Amino acid sequence: MKKRLTKILSLLVVGAMTAATFVGCGSTGKEADGGSSDGAKIGVLVADVSGEEAQGFRNYYEKYIAENYDVEFTYTDALESAEDEKAAIEKFASQGCDAIISLSSSDRAQQIETCEKYGVYYAIASGVLDSEQYETYKGYEHFVGQVGPSNETEFEAGKEMGEYFKKQGTKSVAIYGAFIPNPMHVYRAAGVLVGLGCTYGGASDMDAIVGQIFADQGITLSKVAGDTQVVAYLQGYGDTTTDELNAAIQKNPEAFISVGMATTFFTQTLNEAGIQFSDIDSFTEANGAAIKDGKLVYLAGKYSSSIGPVFALVMNAINGNVIRDEDGNAVSVSQGYLVATDADSFDSFYLSDKGTNPIFSKDVLDTVIGDDVTFADVKALIESK
Amino acid sequence: MKQKMNQIKKNGIGQFLVTLLPFAALVVLFGLFVGVVSMKGYRLDMYLQIVFNEGVVLAVVATGAIFIYTLGTFDISLGAATLFAATMGVLAYNATENMGLMILAIFASGIICSLLNSVLASVFHIPAFVTTVAMMSVLTAVASQIITTKGGALGGISIPSVVVKDMDEPAFKIVLLAVFFLACFFIFNLTKAGRRQKFIGGNPVCAELTGIQFNKYTILAFTIAGIGVGLGAFLTLIYTPSVTTTTASSVGMNIFIAIVFGGMPISGGARSKIYASLVGGFSFMLLNDILDLVIDSSAAYGITQLISAVFFLAVVYVTSMNYRTQMLPR
Amino acid sequence: MSIPKRFLGTIAIPLISFIILEALCLRHGSHIITNMRSFDNFVVYVAIVMITTIALSINLNSGRFDFSLGSMAALSAVIGAKITYAVLGGGEGSAFMMLAVTVVAGAILGLISGCVYVVLRIPPIITSLGVTLIYEGIMYTITEGKYLRVEVQNASMSGFVSTWKYAFAIIVLVLVAAIVIFDHSRFGYDYKALKDGQKVAVNTGINEVKNALGCYAICGGLMGIVGFLNAARNTTINGGQLNFGSIAIMFTAFLPMFIGSYISRFTNERIGFLLAAVTMSLLNSTFAVFSNEVTASMQSIINAVLLVVFLIYLNNEKLLVRIFSKK
Repeated sequence: MKKRLTKILSLLVVGAMTAATFVGCGSTGKEADGGSSDGAKIGVLVADVSGEEAQGFRNYYEKYIAENYDVEFTYTDALESAEDEKAAIEKFASQGCDAIISLSSSDRAQQIETCEKYGVYYAIASGVLDSEQYETYKGYEHFVGQVGPSNETEFEAGKEMGEYFKKQGTKSVAIYGAFIPNPMHVYRAAGVLVGLGCTYGGASDMDAIVGQIFADQGITLSKVAGDTQVVAYLQGYGDTTTDELNAAIQKNPEAFISVGMATTFFTQTLNEAGIQFSDIDSFTEANGAAIKDGKLVYLAGKYSSSIGPVFALVMNAINGNVIRDEDGNAVSVSQGYLVATDADSFDSFYLSDKGTNPIFSKDVLDTVIGDDVTFADVKALIESK
Repeated sequence: MKQKMNQIKKNGIGQFLVTLLPFAALVVLFGLFVGVVSMKGYRLDMYLQIVFNEGVVLAVVATGAIFIYTLGTFDISLGAATLFAATMGVLAYNATENMGLMILAIFASGIICSLLNSVLASVFHIPAFVTTVAMMSVLTAVASQIITTKGGALGGISIPSVVVKDMDEPAFKIVLLAVFFLACFFIFNLTKAGRRQKFIGGNPVCAELTGIQFNKYTILAFTIAGIGVGLGAFLTLIYTPSVTTTTASSVGMNIFIAIVFGGMPISGGARSKIYASLVGGFSFMLLNDILDLVIDSSAAYGITQLISAVFFLAVVYVTSMNYRTQMLPR
Repeated sequence: MSIPKRFLGTIAIPLISFIILEALCLRHGSHIITNMRSFDNFVVYVAIVMITTIALSINLNSGRFDFSLGSMAALSAVIGAKITYAVLGGGEGSAFMMLAVTVVAGAILGLISGCVYVVLRIPPIITSLGVTLIYEGIMYTITEGKYLRVEVQNASMSGFVSTWKYAFAIIVLVLVAAIVIFDHSRFGYDYKALKDGQKVAVNTGINEVKNALGCYAICGGLMGIVGFLNAARNTTINGGQLNFGSIAIMFTAFLPMFIGSYISRFTNERIGFLLAAVTMSLLNSTFAVFSNEVTASMQSIINAVLLVVFLIYLNNEKLLVRIFSKK
């Protein structure tokens, strides 16, 4: 009896496995279609699948670009490590992807080298390489380039945010350092301190503060001195974040300044605590609600279609026009931030970049997609927006 | 009497067939994988390398871990230990630029982490699973602290990729895996130490009464596991010469899956099999990759895990058919 | 044991912890509980730790290692949040409805987990591995791997954890229910008999399967409460916890479980878990006071070291007493 049952179950397992094959044969999924399609195939590396900014970017590529161009995007799951990134690139390469756009930054150097090894074009759409890394890789054949706020731009965005609260007469703040040591968050945090009129470890210039934050891997409050009192500091997001946020709120700051992701994680808690807050994120519906009905008072943001120019660079490369800067290197162009401090200014950015009518629409992108497009064309377009 | 003999014979054949099941599953999964990749028109050579790279670290760490599981205990800190050993390796290389010292640091760290667990378990009489939970927290936190402090703007620490680039070849990794596996196979199946470990795992009281020193074999098991951790960390660095806070994070728990998938009971003892980790580890990776290729949905990763978990339970159920007890197992 | 001795034994650990931690905070120019908001957080945290510890101990005491507690908490919270939002759209009463739905969902998930165990008859540690992966997979499929935010970010939810009263009521209800079920009911007597002598208990006619299923369902229901409280406190539920990402919650309950077991020498085990949870919450509140100095990594290390030191003491108590009494 037992033996018969064993046999039956063994057959069931093998049968189920075989069934899985047939499921595979019958799949009409995106990847199967993509294999026979003549259109471009672009793999997208992502580390965040939940954030407001990340979702806005994804909607733009999948719902706008994919419908207007002969291109197919394949997204990864939230990548957690350098091994995950490398394996994802290898899978994209073996599936015949023409290019990879990176929104993940565990190990950008490894990403570029892996893409170079497999002959797949590579571009960065979020954050930028530090200058040393850019110097190393700018000549790589398949490194198309990077379009996003430069580190200096990140510093300025943080500085303006800090200045906003200083001008309001805010005396005490809590700071959320997001994912320091992510360079963009480090530069923003350094900017916030300067904007608030504070020094860090006695330093008040960008490079010195940034260097110290990298060394400290966060902001050490005992090193902060100046006009505004920083009563609490937290960073990262994990099991203890809620406790750290509660601890920060218990210290009764007048404002909560975030250098990223606060609108994703903390809006409800800060609204409930009645603490005005600011963030550097993007112009999305949820952030609109936070600025209209909640305590979000300052939002420096990117619009969701700001990753349009990176797509244009990649499409050009796939079509045989690999655009290089004046020195023959991979493109590196900085993008600025827009700032909203009330519902009206928010709407002016949000409504102009909505769904079927993004700022980088097909009409706009078509001006920089083509065989004759040059670096100057792309740069001029990015700087005009 | 004759009928009874026949029954025993039949049961023996049944057990033999069940023993073969993990191998059969591996072969079937491999066939399916090749079929799916070919049908999709993807590059099979690259995909095989991907699966091998995904499975090899798990296979070596789990092979070492078999010695611990055979004793009837388990260690969930091995993933964290792999992260810690890789971190130490990077620090050693960056300080000395000496490959030999890097390898030494990796293996020493792996073995020390593992031995610390065994000391806490055997000297201070703390249940091994609790010490390994604590060690997991400590090792992850310490490694994270080092990585974020030393990593600076890059958020991770690394050695120059040229140092290990030549070793990132399947042939080299296969040799390492084969050497380690054969050494473990020899110790496990052909030495007194291996037999005694199985005896301890099967019946610790009887083993103690026959004069077998539990502590001695615990330390031996954890040492071999530590070597596996070191080798796993080294292979991790070969694949990606940078270490981030999440490096090898999934290895610790996947060891359970690999071992059970390979047909070994988690309770250890005489039915422990050294090949379980190898067969189970690669079967699990193949299954995940097949489902990953077949399922197309925005929630594909979730569905993949869901189906592979059902397969996992089904395989375990079938392979343990001959060991059912009247009461609920614990 | 005399009543004063029992009383002292019962309160010793939380009291000594309080004195040490309060002294540390005073040196820092603060108290463990700094204001009413800090007290609210303190009580909510006690509820979460106590309930998780009770849930962990139910099966672990019976030799059933259950990795799936965290996935049950998270998945039941996702189900509760989705259903509640579909009905009330985040309006008034959302918290109470979600609590009810989450507890029911948790109990069902627990029951399913128990059914997998009793039907397959493979060691519970293995079934819990499979169940964890299944529940994480379902959760990922429902949420597409994203954080669930809109469904749990409303005034009703945040109002629930912004006062100590609801958490306190939950603590009392759970404690009373646990004591009645496990110490004063037929189910509890059977549970204890099975725990202390499985074979004898089964031979005397106790229905082991029924009791095990009951235990799993209760665990699931309790983890449903934990899932709800975590969702309300964090204002998010992480739907992307794959590959055993959900099991960490279980490890946080180890230290209070061992502390609670120690205290249970002097009082009821469930009271022991409450006092252990109070001790852990005192530690957590102290971390909040020192939040600018003690990083999350440091907190992990401190908790792990405390666990090991406490276990070294527990497992070598007689030896230590002998050594110190000789001196």
